[in-house]
Amino acid sequence: MGLFLLFSSYSYTQQSSYFEGFVIDSITLKPISGVTILGENVYAVTNDSGYFKIKKTKLASEVEVSHLGYLPVKFTIDKNQNSPLKIKLKTISTSLDEVSVHSKSANRLAKETSTIEVAVDEEYLHANRENSLMQTLRKIPGVSTMTIGSGQSKPTIRGLGFNRVSVIQNGIKHEAQQWGSDHGLEIDQYGIEEIRIIKGPASLMHGSDAIAGVVDIQPAKTPAINSFEGEVNILGETNNELLAISTGVQGRKQKWYYRARLTYRDYADFKVPTERISYENYIFELDNNNLRNTAGQEANGSVSIGYVDDSFKSETYISNVNAKNGFFANAHGLEVRTSSIDYDTSNRDIDLPFHKVNHIKIVNNSWLDLDSHKLFFDIGYQNNQREEHSEPVPHGYMPKPPNSRERVFTKNTYSLNAKDIFKLNDAHTLSAGLNTEYQNNNIGGWGFLIPAYNRFTAGIFLFDHYEANDNLHLQGGVRYDAGSLKTNSYYDWYRSPRDNNDGTTSTLFLQRAENRNLNFNSFSGSLGISYIHKNTTYKLNIGKSFRMPLAHELASDGVNYHMYRYERGNLDLDPESSYQLDAEVLFESGFLSLSVSPFVNFFDNYIYLNPTSDYVETLQVYEYTQSKVFRTGGELSLGYNFTKSFNVNASAEYVYSRQTSGPKEGFTIPFSPPLTGTLTTNYQFGNFGFLNDLNLTVDMRIAAAQNEIVPPEEITAGYRVFNLSMRSKLDLFNKDKAALLRIKLNNIFNSEYYDHTSFYRLIDVPEAGRNLSVSLTVPF
Amino acid sequence: MKKINFILFTASLFVLSACSSDNDTIKDEEKPTITINYDGGFPQVCESLQRGETYTFRARLADNEALASYSLDLHHNFDHHTHDDQGATCSLDAKKESVKPFIYMENFSLDGARKEFEIEIKILIPTDIDTGDYHCSFSVTDEVGWQSRTSVDIKIVN
Repeated sequence: MGLFLLFSSYSYTQQSSYFEGFVIDSITLKPISGVTILGENVYAVTNDSGYFKIKKTKLASEVEVSHLGYLPVKFTIDKNQNSPLKIKLKTISTSLDEVSVHSKSANRLAKETSTIEVAVDEEYLHANRENSLMQTLRKIPGVSTMTIGSGQSKPTIRGLGFNRVSVIQNGIKHEAQQWGSDHGLEIDQYGIEEIRIIKGPASLMHGSDAIAGVVDIQPAKTPAINSFEGEVNILGETNNELLAISTGVQGRKQKWYYRARLTYRDYADFKVPTERISYENYIFELDNNNLRNTAGQEANGSVSIGYVDDSFKSETYISNVNAKNGFFANAHGLEVRTSSIDYDTSNRDIDLPFHKVNHIKIVNNSWLDLDSHKLFFDIGYQNNQREEHSEPVPHGYMPKPPNSRERVFTKNTYSLNAKDIFKLNDAHTLSAGLNTEYQNNNIGGWGFLIPAYNRFTAGIFLFDHYEANDNLHLQGGVRYDAGSLKTNSYYDWYRSPRDNNDGTTSTLFLQRAENRNLNFNSFSGSLGISYIHKNTTYKLNIGKSFRMPLAHELASDGVNYHMYRYERGNLDLDPESSYQLDAEVLFESGFLSLSVSPFVNFFDNYIYLNPTSDYVETLQVYEYTQSKVFRTGGELSLGYNFTKSFNVNASAEYVYSRQTSGPKEGFTIPFSPPLTGTLTTNYQFGNFGFLNDLNLTVDMRIAAAQNEIVPPEEITAGYRVFNLSMRSKLDLFNKDKAALLRIKLNNIFNSEYYDHTSFYRLIDVPEAGRNLSVSLTVPF
Repeated sequence: MKKINFILFTASLFVLSACSSDNDTIKDEEKPTITINYDGGFPQVCESLQRGETYTFRARLADNEALASYSLDLHHNFDHHTHDDQGATCSLDAKKESVKPFIYMENFSLDGARKEFEIEIKILIPTDIDTGDYHCSFSVTDEVGWQSRTSVDIKIVN
């Protein structure tokens, strides 16, 4: 059933000392890279063209071909086989349920890596697609999100987010305004084929910020020779009346290939299952359950062109993401607002306050195979433009500003990464590399929050993968990073009165940020082991990661009126450093999969915005502070196939955090996620009328109350929310390329619940109510 | 089966560590309170203040551990940007631009780890400032950094 083996008859003769072949997808016929071919004394991985070769002397009689998301195939090789073998792999998704992340991640390479990794493929992304990329990924144990309304979110891994999770796309670190609480990721979630998530310290390979983990969006696979294909996806949702369309094409002649994609999304205010929001002593009546002014729109486009041959590949990718999102009109941040704007005339319009973001990205990924050395180069340019608009209102000594442009950030980031992977001998594979990044951040608008700055960072690393034997792998490496940050001074554009020593008062343009040059450096490293014994994989990894302090953590000194606070930076902050011990035991047999991944983590200096008991200009002073933090927790996951078509998966995640020094000693850290569990049942109906491969999933997400809080957070009650989804293939236009239909009902019972880490939580806004979404993907 | 036992053992260790209680420190998780809803509280909702007069602003503070600081902020509401949190709706004058609005912003700190305190701030309303709708906001912090606020709509008249 799951295995297709075709012995093709390529006509050319080949060198007899090697055995070679191609691995392709059984449906799309696209080559699959990174496929493991494994047998006794045999190990090969396919390249981007799906090609592999094995020395014939090493040839074993039986080998296993396995890859993430595909059913493994075992076969016996005929040593007299001379023509290249063509192996077709069938995707696992046709026989397993949508949340079987664990069975999908169980590819050989991930097992041999000592870091705790989860990989998701296109199928998973399609099956779980939510309004934003990170909401789509939140089903993965240990991965969570901070949502900002219905269209934006950012990742958290084991309770850490913002700049403690690196998001990497096509090898380049995504640089937006990720430090900001009302900022989402500017990445088109369509067209992504594979994402690898590292849960744990990953500075070694990824530099600063990868302290809690990495969301690594992999480059799309190279299309097959002489191919052209495309797809159109349309999506409709009831809760926020969303309409979205995304269409992509890709093609290849021989060595040149291209891709292109356009995505447009437009949505109205999202609905919450309540008629009024009670925040402190304020009551906001909602019109028709609409969370006033949270509508948004997004238009994205990307093109890429690539060249590939046996030993060289280069792809240049240009993309633009443009979005406009409204913010809840009654309270911006914590600030309660009344306005003469008639927000309720339309639930689709975007009035003040809103933000506009545009993210341009130009990336080139190149790869050169020099037999023993494999060289990788990633070059990137990113331009992030964010404008935050709100009604001009006088605040404190600030008179009424002339326009609505409150904050404008223009950030340019230039990146260059180079890496050499070379096999020292049969046992040692070394990777050596360099990451550099230059960033230039400019500010505008009448509201000051972070200073303009220039930042340069560079890091070098050396990493060894030692294969003691097939099943025992040791990995370790060291890294050194240096960076400099130059902040620019900033003065208020209005005068504030200040008392002089002689009893008089003068009015001054107050200085909010200084011209400073700061230098940082840090060593990081990791050491790990993975041992595979039959159906069980054991992993142990210890790592040190770091994060350079950000400009606003160091140098901010101003009023954040929307949060009713005065934010003060601290120039004495050190690079944040964190030590983490990770373990994982993963057991998989035909019907059962079980995994446990605990961790222990210690921060020398966790940097956060600490509410003090002081006031400046009647606003509470929040000061960036560093303190020691101890964290532990992990994930537990159990999957059981009762029958071939009935599958149950249960998982739980938990994080315990304690500050062990500093002004909030004994408290947790901000945005700690509660103990959360997910129970998913999946049933395959097979073919049902015109619906092929009909698949029904019910899942329940249970979160315990979060009683672990730190000022100014509030305790959040636990919740239970149910979702239902139905997926099926349809023969619409083309028998070979089935259309995919997905109907999803989120929050079936329209439950009113609060997510402790959601942006709107702090003004007591519940999560979105019931949502029916219908998605149709038509390939051509 | 041995392997499964090992995994179950690891799992239970994990669950145990996850559920281990933390009785390391007793944390103060209570916010301070602030109110003007008592006989001497001033100003009350929709109160009218006269230019040239001196008023004593009074509010009651309380905390379970120790009060730390408080502040008082008076600013105009000529653009009707917000309403108070006292439930009552005051009639607002027509919107207008400010010419010389009254701004009062002062912070005070409290020592001696008090659990209760009554704010008393004497303020002279200047004679040359804009009359109209104003806001009066009190806020208070405790030693740990919890904050509470309250605000009320008032008017400054001739």
